[in-house]
Amino acid sequence: MSGLFARARYFARTSLRGIAATPGTAIVATATITVALVPVGAFGLIVLNMQALLARFGDAVQVTAFLADGLPEADRAKLLRQVRAIDGVAHAELISEAQALERFRGGVGQGFALVEGLGTNPLPASIEIALAGRYRTPADLSRVAATTAGLPGVADITSGADWVAGYVRALALVRGLAFGLGVIFVLATTLIVSNTIRLAVLSRRDELEILSLVGASRSFVNTPFMIEGLLQGAAAGALAWALLYALFRAGLPGVEAGLALVLGGVEPRFFDLGESAWLWGGGAGLGLLGSAIAVAAEARH
Amino acid sequence: MTARVRWPGAAPRAEPKRASAGDAAAQLFHVSKSYVAGTYALRDVSLEFRRGEFVFLTGASGAGKTSLLRLVFAAERPSEGQIVVLGRNASRLSPRSVPELRRRIGVVFQDFKLLARRTVEENVALALDVVATPRRVARTRVFEMLKQVGLQHRRYQSPLSLSGGEQQRVAIARALINEPEILLADEPTGNLDPDLTIEIMDLIADTATRGTTVIVATHDQTILGRYRKRTVRLENGRVIEDRAAPGSAP
Repeated sequence: MSGLFARARYFARTSLRGIAATPGTAIVATATITVALVPVGAFGLIVLNMQALLARFGDAVQVTAFLADGLPEADRAKLLRQVRAIDGVAHAELISEAQALERFRGGVGQGFALVEGLGTNPLPASIEIALAGRYRTPADLSRVAATTAGLPGVADITSGADWVAGYVRALALVRGLAFGLGVIFVLATTLIVSNTIRLAVLSRRDELEILSLVGASRSFVNTPFMIEGLLQGAAAGALAWALLYALFRAGLPGVEAGLALVLGGVEPRFFDLGESAWLWGGGAGLGLLGSAIAVAAEARH
Repeated sequence: MTARVRWPGAAPRAEPKRASAGDAAAQLFHVSKSYVAGTYALRDVSLEFRRGEFVFLTGASGAGKTSLLRLVFAAERPSEGQIVVLGRNASRLSPRSVPELRRRIGVVFQDFKLLARRTVEENVALALDVVATPRRVARTRVFEMLKQVGLQHRRYQSPLSLSGGEQQRVAIARALINEPEILLADEPTGNLDPDLTIEIMDLIADTATRGTTVIVATHDQTILGRYRKRTVRLENGRVIEDRAAPGSAP
């Protein structure tokens, strides 16, 4: 146990000493990882907020079936039962002509005087259909709308399927861009970081030679470099997080109006603790990967 | 300075391994080493170094002294032949096994190979760090070792603040701290003036009296004349003379 502690102590001391001995290298490695993480994190943030909007749509998007004029009450009740029986329908509610007019009154306020001028109620009765959670997809929306439209007594039908389908495509595009960008940045960063850390390895070649002479194993020699990479990466992750947070807070007021168009009523949000941990972990992982490649290259050399 | 080296806290562990001075510490069987095709640093060398023996390797620059030492501590593999070091076939050691062998061998170089960024104490402790020696034990052993080479009062200083002789004593302390069974010294006095040369050579010679096999590569004839030990002379990679120490059994 004391041997293990002695070894851990040696690794920690040597890693920190290594960073202090080559501060330029440490700064370059940390800055490189930070630069890579910021755009990837920014895309992640956009995807996160777009997904939140999609979840909100899930609650709000529904199919509305407008009923034929003068449909008897018995037929309306039968139609409601048929709609409720469609696969994926979680809830269906009949809205009478009078209820529709009342809603309209509440919605338009002063503009209601125009409808009053007509003398009759022009609004049709309808059935509002909400889908169960796992059926809130553009395909199921279309299927339920088509099935409902085919029922006797249904005069017209509306659904947000097209809009949702477009939004899902946009989300997939952003997600794909984020992934592609992430892959490119990870590859480029790993290359730069591994070369940077290799400079640190080369600058301490004398030390490595002596360690080798006194019987140090490969892992004993490499571990401090791996810890260095890990620490630099974790620091970069924290830096990237702080930069993104600052940009999010500082930039939000300027783009809030535009975001409202894209995100609707969804309040833009920053990473929570778990998501932030992914950013820090990603940085640490990049640092570790860069170090691993550097020491492996040096070992081959 | 002619301090006699004693192993700090080492006696219980070291004695059984060195009980028989007749055992071979290292054996070379028809060993050749070639770095460039067609030229040989060593050519068909067969030698045996017994446990506790003190041996000089001598010859002009390029004769093959350093190559031979490098083969013994497994820094190189022979191009031909076999080398058995401390019972292990060094020519077939896996990379994973090399460190284990090296922990049983101490090496001293002409250029000391000390880390300027570390203190004297840390330089010596490096060999103990490798074998995960607890800090308190390591500090005690390093202090005792430095005391043996007369440098305990310099332990917190940088090696750069020491004289050449003192730096070499630190290097020797590092080589000996793990109680090696073999001590290899490659021109250990090459950078030192005559007085310091004697001081360092006395220190190295003393380790052989504890049962450690000592192999010193040198071209300094003064040293060879003064210590009168077994001398292996190399020329163009071949052993041209293997002269036993005066008065020893052949």
